[in-house]
Parts: sequence; structure tokens; C-alpha cells
Amino acid sequence: MMLIPCPWCGHRDAAEFAYLGEPSPRPDPSTATPEQWRGYLYLRDNVAGPVTERWYHRMGCRRRLLVERDTTTNEVRPHRSLVEEES
Amino acid sequence: MTPPRWRPSAAPSTMSMRLERQPDEVIDRDAPLTFTWNGRTFPAYAGDTIASALAACGVRVFSRSFKYHRPRGLLTASYLDPGCMVQVDDEPNVRGAHRLVEPGMRVSSQDTWPSLEVDVKAANQLVGRFLSAGFYYKTFMGPSRLWPAYEKVLERFAHGGEIPDLESYDRRRHHYDKRHAHPDVLVAGGGPAGMAAALAAAEAGATVLLVEEEHALGGHLRWGGDDVRSALAELRRQIEGTAAIEVLTDSVVLGRYDDNWVSVVQRGLPTVDERLVKARAKTLVVAAGLVERPYVFAGNDVPGVMLSTAVRRLIELHAVSPGRRAVVLRANPDGDAAVAALRRVGVEVVHVEDARRGGDIVRVRGRDRVRGVHLADGRRVACDLVVTATGWTAPVSLLTMAGVVPVYDARAARFRPDTTQLPDNILATGGVVGDGTLDELIAHGEATGRVAATRSAVVGRRWRAASPTAGGQVDSAAEPCEASPPALPVDPHPELFRARTHGIVDFSEDVSSSDLVTAVAEGYASAELAKRYTTATMGPVQGKLETVNVVAIVAEATGRSIQQTGTTTWRPPYAPVTLGALAGPEREPVRRSPLQAWHEQHGATPLVAGAWVRPDHYGDPAAEVRAVRDGVGLIDVTPIGKLELHGPDVPRLLNLVYVNRWSKLAIGRVRYGVMCAEDGVVLDDGVTARLAEHSYLMTTTSSGAATVWEWLESWLQTEHPEWQVHVTAVTTAYASINVAGPRSRELVRRVVPDVDLDPEAFPYMHVRTGSIAGVADCVLWRIGFTGELSYELHVPAGYGLHVWESLMAAGSDLGVRAFGVEAQRILRLEKGHLIVGQDTDGLTRAGSAGLDGLVKLDKEDFAGRPELVWQDRVADPPRLVALRTSDPTVVPVEGSQIVTDGSHIRGRITSSRMSPTLGRSVVLAQLDAPLADAGSKVTIAMVDGRRASAVVTEGLAQVDPEGERLHG
Amino acid sequence: MDDTTAVARSAISPAPPETVVAGWAVSGRRSTGALTLTDVSPLAKVAVRAGVDGAMSRALDVPFGRISRDVGALDGADAGLLVVGSGPGEWLVLGAPGAQATISERLGRLAERSTPGASADSGELVTVVDLTHGRALMRLTGPAAADLLARECAVDLTDAACPDGSALRTAVAGLATDIVRDDRDGTPSYLLHCERSSGQYLFDALLDAGTDLGVDVDGFTLTDPRGEPRATAHS
Repeated sequence: MMLIPCPWCGHRDAAEFAYLGEPSPRPDPSTATPEQWRGYLYLRDNVAGPVTERWYHRMGCRRRLLVERDTTTNEVRPHRSLVEEES
Repeated sequence: MTPPRWRPSAAPSTMSMRLERQPDEVIDRDAPLTFTWNGRTFPAYAGDTIASALAACGVRVFSRSFKYHRPRGLLTASYLDPGCMVQVDDEPNVRGAHRLVEPGMRVSSQDTWPSLEVDVKAANQLVGRFLSAGFYYKTFMGPSRLWPAYEKVLERFAHGGEIPDLESYDRRRHHYDKRHAHPDVLVAGGGPAGMAAALAAAEAGATVLLVEEEHALGGHLRWGGDDVRSALAELRRQIEGTAAIEVLTDSVVLGRYDDNWVSVVQRGLPTVDERLVKARAKTLVVAAGLVERPYVFAGNDVPGVMLSTAVRRLIELHAVSPGRRAVVLRANPDGDAAVAALRRVGVEVVHVEDARRGGDIVRVRGRDRVRGVHLADGRRVACDLVVTATGWTAPVSLLTMAGVVPVYDARAARFRPDTTQLPDNILATGGVVGDGTLDELIAHGEATGRVAATRSAVVGRRWRAASPTAGGQVDSAAEPCEASPPALPVDPHPELFRARTHGIVDFSEDVSSSDLVTAVAEGYASAELAKRYTTATMGPVQGKLETVNVVAIVAEATGRSIQQTGTTTWRPPYAPVTLGALAGPEREPVRRSPLQAWHEQHGATPLVAGAWVRPDHYGDPAAEVRAVRDGVGLIDVTPIGKLELHGPDVPRLLNLVYVNRWSKLAIGRVRYGVMCAEDGVVLDDGVTARLAEHSYLMTTTSSGAATVWEWLESWLQTEHPEWQVHVTAVTTAYASINVAGPRSRELVRRVVPDVDLDPEAFPYMHVRTGSIAGVADCVLWRIGFTGELSYELHVPAGYGLHVWESLMAAGSDLGVRAFGVEAQRILRLEKGHLIVGQDTDGLTRAGSAGLDGLVKLDKEDFAGRPELVWQDRVADPPRLVALRTSDPTVVPVEGSQIVTDGSHIRGRITSSRMSPTLGRSVVLAQLDAPLADAGSKVTIAMVDGRRASAVVTEGLAQVDPEGERLHG
Repeated sequence: MDDTTAVARSAISPAPPETVVAGWAVSGRRSTGALTLTDVSPLAKVAVRAGVDGAMSRALDVPFGRISRDVGALDGADAGLLVVGSGPGEWLVLGAPGAQATISERLGRLAERSTPGASADSGELVTVVDLTHGRALMRLTGPAAADLLARECAVDLTDAACPDGSALRTAVAGLATDIVRDDRDGTPSYLLHCERSSGQYLFDALLDAGTDLGVDVDGFTLTDPRGEPRATAHS
């Protein structure tokens, strides 16, 4: 089982987290075309190699976080911006 | 029906093959015991394996082979022995050459009929061509209707023993459990290199988990005799004296996964059959040793053909003579040692064939026992034991699981791991990477252990620095990874895989070298394809004995080199594991309301809904419905999800996640809301109350509580971190009781003295706080899912039972009655209230759930709005409707389809019940828009094939459509 | 209705004999075993949410992942008070049975002092929620406590990674659980805090997992270090 480096809790088993996939920015709902909106909903790059991913630490701090994972090796590093936000 | 497995025999068994006391024996001659084998009683000593005890009594046949049902004896006399899978009491597939015998143990051979000695399926040997390479694929072709018959045939031929029936299986007993471990260093293999690595790692400050497959540490030193006895004793003594080393014997490392997640199955525990150890090792040291490789020749599976290590184990560890007249084919010093051991204990070594000088054997004569051997020079020698020492296989599984590709070394006649490919957190030592003297192996183990400890310390510091619990240990100074120790020498070895005859390659699956040659001839010319076509390496031994021979024979048949042919892929598990060990103890989180004990005491039928255990009904759901319609009833609605929302920006959050408007909810008011996901599909619904200026209580469906909480957090954490809102999950901070029925106000008034319940003072869709039955800090809502006047009381959970019992007592003269989930489902269906997830599914958008009126598309933004806007413009989606069946007694099963033209599907029944209030069925359905107008007639295809007709009603509510009861 | 008749009940049914302590039905069982599990749900439990690095965080001065047994800022609330840094910008305050109102009130005052204007539409938002009834709380004590937890918890709880005074949230028996290391007289002791409705499940799971370690149920008394009410505490 992979370890996910939670920026708050440290290294934890991936089973503690929900996988949320690649970040997909929400288009401006007032101007988005159906194509843009459905791209936001459904389309992902799905590359073999380093991918930035969102995870949610469901069993721990309950924060969303970003990591960089190599999909060919499962090597995971904290993403450079560490967290999507945190006030 | 169990067929007789044995023929009774009166002859008492004696330990005729037991030798005098041996210096390294592991049996306890002061602890004799008896056990039974196929119904006959046999003597043994504590410390014997099942196989060694039987071999000591002269037993040579332990099983019948998989396809041809040929007699099989001991081959390796170790955990891997494919010839000795037995049934022990109610446990099938026990490795008889590994499992220690216990007093009174009932052991039997598996899958032989009528007996081990006379097995009718041995006739398969005569029809071998039908069972040749790929017989599964060739024989069982043909019409699919014959497959049930094929399966019966295949089942008869399958190995497997007998699993216990559930009645006799004691479910209270712990059969399996699990634990987690966090060693700095995990050493897989307790031979000299592994022991030395563990000691050196511990010396360097690491905690160590040392895992050994056998019952004792020592590896090949255990049968190494005088030269190594004191060295082994010293290593064991040091390990016993080292507190930082935890030793697991009779335990197998099953696999290595991401970030050194290492699974180990531990056996031989007093309290459980098996324990799964889930270890997160900072570094892993693989010290798996070497596995002796069988030689392929005609008759190589006849009982009495053994590997040199098997012979030495039997003699040195168990004081069992493996035979009386031996022929030895040897190619290495271990073969020499086997010859010496045989001679020392008085076995007549009638002939030694030395492969280093070109010697070879051709075939073994005999069927159920070795009678002689044909040598390469044409001579024939009579004997009852043939010993081979023809080469080694490095068990590289754990290393290949980390990405290492083994490379064939022709000089050493084995695949070796390229350790330069290993990640920093895995090291290897001992036989798996090289040869050497005992001193060299120990020195290499020590050097490896020191590096493992250093690297684990770096990992440990990195992990602790990232963890807030370690109290500010932020010493994360990166240290250079210490280089791996210099490589061990590798001894030359002659390449010996197959004699000039064909023999068995895979002893578990009964695959011969001619099967492999056939597979190649039929076009399955790669090792991976030949493996799957013949099932070689796919049995219980999982390739550890036979893979290299498979590769060598495929290489020979294709004319390629062994390196070009390459090995098959090693995947976890390293050894077969029971599903019970993987499943472990039953741990499924269960949620209970504070009132659940009351429900059980009052005859409730439990309903498991998600993790919740709820009362479905108390015996008569129709009576419960009538009690609510006519008087008053109580239902435990604690599982309703509850979230406390605090902060000035809560209205903005509510406006964003609900499809309707929330900006102007006044204090003391409650509003119904529906949430959609960003694709416009209905996510959840519930009511939210404003308790104070910045304080709200949101409810969700019982099953949607966690989803909604995460949904709110995702908006707050990603899209709007600037909003000031705190969400706290309080689902079971309150016991929630819905008091429903025309007399509910009368009842609630008796226990709520301080809140004015008059309809004008506390109208529908309002909220109040106050004391109930003396319990402060309660929340009262006037809402109603049942369609009746009702109050939902939220009580601090610890007082839930007190308030419930107070209500039951206070309402006894009103006929108050508890009702369950089933009655509530009927009541809401009569009223036409939808249930998200029941009347909607993962594709149902708001417009199809009868919620069109609620959706405020003119709101600036809310989750799912763009999709709902487009849907509103272009689509005419299915609609939620109520149906009235022509025959009032017909209750179409939920999921029944609505059809036109006989079979064209136009909709489906989402909810249906018989209504005790109306005396007819009440039905909700999703229906294509053109059919969904009131008065439209539809046909329902019932599951029994009949058709029922129904008409779409005006509105969804069948009871009190004007809502007079609700608002009363 | 007579107020005094209402006895609060924990999510965990008391092992016999049942008795009442501080208004809660608890187990009166006494164990002298080396490894004990006690339902300490009667303890007051109050959750605090505030900015990760805000004024309230500075005032509480308990970092995420650690606990404090001596919080000057909440003086006089309770002698056995324990403040747990339970999450980023999240604290859990435990105290004697019945002390939740006092604790909430003092936290509210602390919030007002440290974050003026918090209740207005600007400034730091501080939220105090009484979870006494909403959560189950149990205490596992004994030299083998970490061994038992290792049966059901994947996080390293050995001394180097999780010394006395640590706090973390993780899965225990598949359930999101706060683990608080709160040793008693040098003996390892862990408080386990979970959602109330699964309290009985977690309690049973730990007893089941620890059978061969000899885990035994011990009843609740006010001698729990977090259970000592202070003479000045009012309810």
C-alpha cells in the first residue's frame, strides 16, 4: 500500500484517503459552454508518468491535498504548493 | 457423502526407518505421541513433521499427482514439498513436510478414491494423451451447454481436500487475526546471512523483524553438521539476547508492495491458526537463500527420488533414514555432503554419478517406489533411493516485486538478481545474491544489515519530521545513503536441467517436459505462453522448484538461449495463503442509535441500512401505519445526517449547494432543500434550520451524511476558502425522534412544558429549542415526512432513551406506538414524498425527480446549475409520477418496467407498497415525459410475466394532497 | 417531569454491575488486569474550530498533534482539563463529567478576548461545539496497549513516533478515531475518541482483538485523571 505524504499528518496509508483525481478547475458557470463544462466534469489527461493529484484525508485531518504521483512507479511526493488552500 | 478413504489395516506401525540419536535432531525422544494417517495409528516424536513421522515408519507414498494420479513421495521434505499436501482434521491442503505433528492429529491423503494405494483415477496414466499440454482447452471445447457437465468432471479431478461444513466450524473461535508492525528493518529469511544482517542492524540501533519460513532459525546450517554447529549456536544465542530483534518463525513473507508494505503470514501461534502481519518496513533485507532444483528425467517423480537437501533434512533434523540403497547424482558440494551423510548413518550408497565429470542418469525404474536406475553409460543399478544434487534456484520473488529483472548467469547455472536495480529501501544478502564460505556469508549479511539500519534511520527521521505527533523532532538532515556492500562471490556450477529423457517439470500440476515441448510445437513458444497453456508453475509451489526448468526446456525447444527466453513474472503472494488469513477478523463498522437496545427489547426486526442497524418494524407495519394516521406514533430517526454550520457565510454556502434559495431564511425557520452534483444529478435532500444568527443545523439523508459533509468541505476548501464557515458533524450528538400523527401535538405538549406549541406560535416548517422531559438543549422541528402533523425532536444522545421512554409513558392513553422504517416508507409513499436513491438513481437530474418547481435557475450560481439550464432548454427528461393500478390489489415489484408496444421500455417502478390507509397499492415511477401526464394509461411488465395496467395520477400525493393534516 | 430522574447513557452498554457516577450510567466493574479498557464517555468533550495560525490558536497554544494538560488560558475550568490539538485549526477539550458548559463558556470568553470582533462578519471565526453526547470516549491502559492497538491501527504508535502527549486521527478497526496518548503514572494509556454511534463497535472490536493479550473491562470512576472535578467548577 502506498504512503501518501499528508502535509498535516505526515505519511499515512493510502487507504486513509479518498482519491479525487487530477485537479480540474471549475469554469465560470455563467460563461462556460457545454463543451467546457463537460471537460471539467469528465475529461482528464491520464498520463503515464508524474501526475498532480488531489486526495482527501478522510480518516485524518479531513483536508484536501495535492501530491505528485508517478503513475508508472507509484512514487509519491508532496506537491510543491503542498495544499490547495489553507487560510 | 465422503467416500471411504482408507483400507483398515491391522498391522501396527513401527518406526523402522528411525535412526539413532543425531547431533542436530529437532525431535524430542522424551515426548512420544501418536496420530492417525488414513485411519491407522502411527507413532511419532514431538518435533516431527507429518512427513518425517510417516517416513520414519516406512511410508513412502503421501499423495496422488494432480492429473495422472501417480503415487508421489517426498521430494524436498520442506515447506515446498509438492508430494505431501494432506488433510489435517478439517483443514485441507496442509503442507505435510512442514506441519509439525500433534498428539491425536487426524491426517489423511487428499482426493484419492477409494484409497491412496488403489486409486481408480490412476487410470488417467493410461489415457495421458487426453491430458497432455493444454488439455483444458482441447478437451473441453464444444457447445457451451455441456459446460456444467465439464465442470463436474473437472471438479472430480481437482485437488483440494475437504473444507469444514459451517455447522462444525466454530465461529466463536479466533481462526485468523492480524497485526501491524513498523520495523526499521525487516529481514526475510533466517539463514546465516539473514541472522547476521538482523544482528548488525540491531547493533546499529534499528528495530528488526526477522521472518523465517521454517520452525527454527538457521537455514542450511541446520543440517550442516559438525563444521557449522557452533557458528549456528552462536548466531542463535546472540539473536535471543537482542531485544530489538523480533523473530517470527513458521512465517512467510507473502509480498512486497509500494513503499515497503510487506505482508507476512505467521503460523504456529497458540491462539489463532494464522495471523497476517502487515509490516511497513523502512528497509527490507531479502535473505531468501537458495532453493534446490529438481532434475528432469523419466521417473523423476517416483517415490524415492529426492533432492540432496531432502535427504539431509530427514537424516540430520528428524533422524529418519531416507532409504536403504542409494544412487546419487551430484554436481556440487552439497551432493558430496549428502553422500557423506548417507554413508555416516549406514545407508548403502551403491553408486555415485558425478555430473562435474560428465556423469548422468537416464531413467528411474519403479511405479510406487524406486526399484533401480539406468545410468548414462547404460548400466542398471538396483536401489530404493535416488538422490539428485543438480543445481539451485535463487528465489528472487521479493526482489522482482520491487522491479528487479533477474539475469541468467550461465556460469552459475541460475538466474541472479541485478541488485544495482534495487531501490534504496531494499537490500539483498546471502544465497539469493551469491555464494561464499560461511564467514563470507556472515560478513556480507552484517555489512548489509548495517547499511539497512543506516538507510532506515534516514527514512525514520524523514517520517517523524513530517508527523506532528513526534513533538518537534525536525532533525531531517539528509544523510548520504551508504553504498551497498561488495558483492558475494558466485561459484561455477554445471548447467543441468534435463536428462536425455522426459520427466515431470511441475510436480504440483503434473506437467512434463514433453508437454512443454508440445506447447512450443503448437506455437506457444514463449515461457509466459507455455506456462499458461500447460499450467506449469501455477500450482501450490508457484514456480519455486520448477520455473527455471520450464525456461530451460522452452529455450531448448525453441533453440533460443535461457537468457533470451527469460523468466516468467513473479507476483505476490510468494506462497499460497488462505483467504481467511487475508480477510482476518470480521471488522465492519456498525452504527447504532441510543435507542437500538429498546427496539430490540420490543421485538423490532432489524434492518441493516448502510452501517446503521435500524428497526424495520415491530411485527405489524400496517398497524404502525394506522396508528400514525389515526393517533400518534414514534419513530427513531437518529440516522438522519446532521451537520452544524457556523459562521457568517453559511447562507452563501447553502445557496451554492442547494438548488433553491437560501439567502432569507429567518431565525426559527426550517426549509427543505435539494442538492445536485455538478452534472445536475440529484445528490441528496434534507431540511436545514436556522437556530441563531450564525448557527444552522442541516439534515441529510441517512446514507448521504458523509457524502454531504465532504461535499461541503470540498466547496469550502477549494472554491471558497475565504468564506467563514465551520462544519461539524453531529449526527449522533442527538437522538432524533419523530412524533407523528394527529395527536402528536397533544403528546409533545405533555413533555415539553416550556415551548408554545400552538399552531400559530409554532407553525409548520419552524424550529424551536427547549427542554423535553427535563432534558435541556433539545431542538424541536415541525416538519413531516409522513404527511401527518409531526414534530422531530433532537435530544442530546445520552438522554435519548429517557426521552423516548417518557414519550411512550406519557402517550399510553393516546395509544402511542413505535413505528419502524417500513411503516415510514409506506406513509411517505402514500404522501408522495420521494426518497433520494430510491426514487432517483445516479442519472436522475432534478427535473426528473419532480423537483422542477424547487430549482431556481435564475440564481446566480449553484452546483449543477449549468447542466440543469441546458437540460431545461433542450431535453424533455423522464418524470417522477404516481400510478394507480387498475387492479387495486396489484403491487408491482420495485424495478418492474413500464412498457409500450409489448416490450419497449418507457419507465420503471421506483417505489411500491400496499397502502393500509387507502386499501390499494401506491406506486411511484420514473416515466418518459410523453407518457407522464395525469390520466395517461400505462402497462407494467410484472416480474412474473403478467401485464398490469395503471393510470398516472394528478400529483404525487395519494393521501391528503392538500396538506391539511401536515399543516394542521 | 422531574429533572433528577434523567440518567445519561453512553453509547457503550456498561459491563455489570451498572452504577451511576456523576449522572451517567457506567460500569461499576473493577479490574486489576494489566491491560484495561474503560468507557470514559461521561467526560466532557468540547470541540473548537479556529484559524490554523490565528489568535485563538495562539491563545490555546497547543499545536496540532500534541496535547496540553495545563492550559493557563482556561484557568479554573477544571483540574483534569486536557486540550488536544486534534486537527489543523481544531482542538478537543476534555474535562470532568458535567464540565462541558463551563468549558464552553470559558472557551467562548477566550475567543472574545483573543479575537475581538469574531462574531462580526469579518475577523477570525471561532466555533465551539459541545460534543459530549456526540462522541464515544474510551481509555486503554497498560504496557501492552500499543500492541493491542497495532492489531487494528496501521499507524506506528511506538514511543519514537508517538510519545506521551501525542494526538492523531486515523482509522482504528476501520473507523475514524482520535488517538490521544495520555499516560497514567508512567504506564502507557491511550484515549480513543470516535463518533458516538460506533462507540460500542469500537469497544467490542478492541476487546475482541485483545483477547489473547488479556484485555479486561474496567468501570468508570472519577479517579480518571481527566475525571477529577475541581471544587470551584460549576455545572
